[in-house]
Amino acid sequence: MNLSAGYTFTCPFKTNSGNKALEHLPVELSSLNAFKPLIITSLNLTGRRAIRTLINAFGDSGMTMGVFDEITCNADLNVIEQIKDIFVKGQYDSIIALGGGVVVDAAKIVNLAVSQKTADARQLSGETDICGPLGPLVMVPTAAVTGMETSKYAVLNKKTFVSISLMPNLVILDPRLTRAKDSKTTAEAGIAAFGRSLEAYIAPDKNPFMDAYAFAALRFIRENLVLAENKSCNKKASLAVANAAVMSGCVISNTGQSVLHRLGQVFQNIIQVHPGVIIGMCLRPFLDDYVKKDSHLVSALFHPLAGDDKYAATPEAKRTDEVLKDLYIFLDEIYGVLKGKMPRTINEAGIPRYLMDDIFEVINKEPDGAYLRTIIERVS
Amino acid sequence: MQEIHAGEKPLKRIYVSVFLWFTGRAIQAAAKTDKEVKKEFDALPDDFTFALGCLPNGPWMVVGKENGRVKYLGSNPNIRRLHIRLVIKSLDAAFLILSFQESTALATTRNRLMTDGEVPYALSVIRILDIVEVYLLPKIIASLAVKRYPSWWSMGRKFGGRIGVYTRTVLGI
Repeated sequence: MNLSAGYTFTCPFKTNSGNKALEHLPVELSSLNAFKPLIITSLNLTGRRAIRTLINAFGDSGMTMGVFDEITCNADLNVIEQIKDIFVKGQYDSIIALGGGVVVDAAKIVNLAVSQKTADARQLSGETDICGPLGPLVMVPTAAVTGMETSKYAVLNKKTFVSISLMPNLVILDPRLTRAKDSKTTAEAGIAAFGRSLEAYIAPDKNPFMDAYAFAALRFIRENLVLAENKSCNKKASLAVANAAVMSGCVISNTGQSVLHRLGQVFQNIIQVHPGVIIGMCLRPFLDDYVKKDSHLVSALFHPLAGDDKYAATPEAKRTDEVLKDLYIFLDEIYGVLKGKMPRTINEAGIPRYLMDDIFEVINKEPDGAYLRTIIERVS
Repeated sequence: MQEIHAGEKPLKRIYVSVFLWFTGRAIQAAAKTDKEVKKEFDALPDDFTFALGCLPNGPWMVVGKENGRVKYLGSNPNIRRLHIRLVIKSLDAAFLILSFQESTALATTRNRLMTDGEVPYALSVIRILDIVEVYLLPKIIASLAVKRYPSWWSMGRKFGGRIGVYTRTVLGI
């Protein structure tokens, strides 16, 4: 790490994680000067039980809250305009996003629209100026997250909004909500967080804060993902995976647009496939290339992945080989538990040729499009 | 779209209220029975008052010194100026702590407690609460509530004190 070059790192949100953490929500909201929140969620994507758990957490607080649970996978700016009207008419003062992916993206854009008093939210675009801090936004992730919830990005209907102001003020991780119904959901979230953190950890321009966040996320995933997949009732493991996803969102907001992250986003934007699926596919070819470029940076991965004792006992010259071996075993374990539920190649994913052409068209526009294309071709 | 008013948790509220009421009276009793508790209170200012309760709407327990004597002052935290306010963030968190599912130390690490006031006063109050819990609860439960169970206490202090504290608490003297 070259500290003389200087660096910046921003993590504007407070994280509250643990048993019954949700019950702290009324107090945390009042510390944000918020007393009437609007909960934005999706009945289909998040589930009735999660919504009920969140509402019960407000018990005895005397608060009144609105619940908008009609977010769908295809939410667009018309829905944002609809929620904005509800927010203004109901005189709400804060937003709670319950769930992951599109739910949180929609909540971020609603927060932007109501905070900046946008006359018509349908006119919002990626070019919209986002200035100053926005209103209080609380994020309550469930198991079905993409890892981008805590990031500075919000993507809705192929429109991408980018600003540090979009990041939430508070993140609450409660083990009652982070347990997944199926192992695939956990694996997707875990691999997405793992890939993004891994890329940040081996980035030549990383800073000490990124290093710390990425280190913790990688170790959490390495120690808990397979366990969380195997036993969805394991609260501790699923909470660790959710923590890693939150950290990876913060890490990605402080790094340049990285290879694995961008590939995951392109596929998500065009064919709505979870970025974890694509990041999982591309991890191996990406690392193979990276070893050729800078094996020293890859060898540093041995510490978060193998643990302190194994790291100390392995000579530096052997760490690169060992880390690759360890990582590939780990990936095999993840996919082994899923028993074919998650594709390992583009062909297995069954993505039609015409959609691949659309994807390549977007990828080719990137400055390093040729390289990104070779990665996709190697996993086809 | 629906608007919902937060519900009530009456059973938890009753449990926490009764627990705080009984503990408040027990502190008053322990200040007369136990030398260590008396010494802690003697070191505090003459009008020292502290409250323990939960946000946002209570219940609370207020204990203070009046003319050199320690008194349980009821459940209204606005009764007089407080030197220390020990706040549990929610009724559920209070229930976890007061039903001994979580020790005070564990609850602190889980960010469930807030202290409003001078830290040395707060530490005195915590030490007093620990001693009172040891008197009120059987060892197996008190070990969950306090950080270190005082195995160095003599049998006379433990059982004699327990009888004294319970008698005074029940009778309110």
